[in-house]
Amino acid sequence: MNFDFTPVWENIPTLISGTGYTLFIALFAAILSLVGGLVVALTTLYGKKIFSSPLRLFIWLFMGTPLLLQLYLLYFGLGQVGILIPALLTGILGLGIHYMAYNADIFRATLQSIDNGQTEAARSLGFGRMQTLWFFIVPQAIYRALPQLGNNMIIMLKDTSVLSVIGVSELVLNAQFEISNTFRPFEFYIAIAVIYYILNLMLETSLNLFEKKLEGKR
Amino acid sequence: MMEDQPRSDTNKNSGLMLDIINVKKSFGELEVLKGIDLQVQRGQIVSIIGSSGSGKSTLLRSINHLETIDSGEIWLDGMRVNQPDMKGLAFERHINSVRQNMGMVFQQFNLFPHLTTLDNVRLAPIKIKGMAKPEATEYCMELLEKVGLADKADTFPAHLSGGQKQRVAIARALAMQPKVMLFDEATSALDPELVEEVNQVMKQLAHEHMTMLIVTHEMNFANEVSDHVLFMDQGVVCEQGPPSQLFTNPKEERTKSFLKKHLEQQ
Repeated sequence: MNFDFTPVWENIPTLISGTGYTLFIALFAAILSLVGGLVVALTTLYGKKIFSSPLRLFIWLFMGTPLLLQLYLLYFGLGQVGILIPALLTGILGLGIHYMAYNADIFRATLQSIDNGQTEAARSLGFGRMQTLWFFIVPQAIYRALPQLGNNMIIMLKDTSVLSVIGVSELVLNAQFEISNTFRPFEFYIAIAVIYYILNLMLETSLNLFEKKLEGKR
Repeated sequence: MMEDQPRSDTNKNSGLMLDIINVKKSFGELEVLKGIDLQVQRGQIVSIIGSSGSGKSTLLRSINHLETIDSGEIWLDGMRVNQPDMKGLAFERHINSVRQNMGMVFQQFNLFPHLTTLDNVRLAPIKIKGMAKPEATEYCMELLEKVGLADKADTFPAHLSGGQKQRVAIARALAMQPKVMLFDEATSALDPELVEEVNQVMKQLAHEHMTMLIVTHEMNFANEVSDHVLFMDQGVVCEQGPPSQLFTNPKEERTKSFLKKHLEQQ
């Protein structure tokens, strides 16, 4: 068996472009999943029943079904009834909403973990219900959620690879494209495995630094 | 939106600050307040003593509406605190404005751990009173100075001792320029050697004629600082009077046995 990484080097622009897409998708899906997750958690905990009940159902459905299936439904399912969303947007939405459900669950747990004394102290100063949440409860819940959110984001970065099935030209699909030209699957798959690993290492390191910076605020 | 006139009224007995009329409160089957009456005059310092479960903390928390009373009336300087007929947003607005006039100090401090000492103190004046940030900073630094913690302004609560935390909590409550300060066992969670520094701050407030309602386990402190002492037992005010009378010459049997038990412990 002989390895030859020359085809990988020759086609590195394709992999770099794929990496760019992967990061772009991960970034926007992360923003969607974090902001949306917090909104969903706050609504299910403190909102009116007509809003919170459907959202609970949403979390339950998205956590209970595979991401791959959700993407198929969004892309091909909706396409069948005439709702055509571009693959890239579908990918960001699908991934974002899927992880929104997971993040909402984390936020719900950390929001509930904040001691009631915090609310009492804020209310006794004259802060209203919403102000108390905004200035005191939500920031503390976010600090506490960070380690778990970080884990989720690392898993999500890897899950961007699933978007190759709906034709988003991220790392895996781009690698597959070059494999079909060069017939070098082993080398290309190892190369993108290394890229994923480096991306996650960078993400993990920056998350650790960020957490360290916030130490003592929880 | 700051009030310009000096808030603290040095003239004692110039008016009723707190008026509590026949307040009742139950937790399920258990009636913890069985019709409490209490008047606190402007500048007066009233201590409430009693064993755990006597209802003294519940009474204090009811005044701040952290507990909703079942019946009775609570008045703060002519404002009705509990408004049984008000609902929803109207009551929310009402209670927020009432609470700005009461400073509450908790047994567990309840400082905001994600904010520095200074931000703990100055956030409420800025966000609620609309004070300008430089003005609020200057004012709150004075308060921190007063409780002896100006050098800890940029420290997070996690790095403070219990006594320091409670002094910050007092400064935080004072920052809203309350008409009355409510202390809910402010020193009960502290190590014995840290109690004194908090008591000193409270004594200083007493000296400045702040109206204070103090729930405490410390008989010596209550004796020293109060104008009036209430002994609560099983949801009723069992006995009340000036500390000199209540501590040295109690009339009720229950007061006697409570004081005896407590003096043995100390």
